[in-house]
Amino acid sequence: MDAINHLYETTFIVNASLDDAQIEAAVARVQDTITKNGGTIESINRWGRKRLAYAINKKTTGFYVNIEFTGPGTLIALLERSYQLDELILRYLTIRLSKNALKARAQALANQPVQAETPLSIPEPLPVSEGQPEKGESA
Amino acid sequence: MRPQQRTNTPYGQRRTSRRDREGQLARKKRNCRFTESGTIYIDYKDEKVLQKFVNEQGKIIPRRITGTSARFQRQLMLAIKRARHLALLPFVSDSIR
Repeated sequence: MDAINHLYETTFIVNASLDDAQIEAAVARVQDTITKNGGTIESINRWGRKRLAYAINKKTTGFYVNIEFTGPGTLIALLERSYQLDELILRYLTIRLSKNALKARAQALANQPVQAETPLSIPEPLPVSEGQPEKGESA
Repeated sequence: MRPQQRTNTPYGQRRTSRRDREGQLARKKRNCRFTESGTIYIDYKDEKVLQKFVNEQGKIIPRRITGTSARFQRQLMLAIKRARHLALLPFVSDSIR
């Protein structure tokens, strides 16, 4: 009966017209529901206030938060239920990372520590390692 | 239109104008951006990349025009649809003013 813990990623939009404290409270609530239901949070990314491409509930801006977490599949239903009950959350998207997404994530993680650990000792390889991903993004 | 004209246009020339495409004068050199750059996964979060594969109306550009490989067009489709759900990309943008 071992529950398989997959890596999930959830992004949600909080009503940006609220105070920062209220937004943080909403984010904390989401974190709570993840951790209390057997999930562990890997990373939280606050993209901040962004313009929405189209109005949602008559609002044109939203506060985006992206959370990566692992947990059992049963957690997802609970999480999405809590999203629906939360009036401050305008939109949400929860996905299980695909094989390719996991690969890309692992690669990105492998690149980051290298850049962080050896910025002083070896300055030369840095432009090379930075240049390749940039190409991938812009080309 | 005539075969002679077709052979006169250099093969490597990328599509430059609509006339070329409609007249089928220039043979497009197709190259998939994602294959070339060694992309593994197209993320719904980088709107900048996705925006290039969407026209002014917000529609997904067919791969016959962009040259994207089938594999990546499938990934792209998913990524764009996810981005639309999160209001990162518009479903429709009628910027006709």
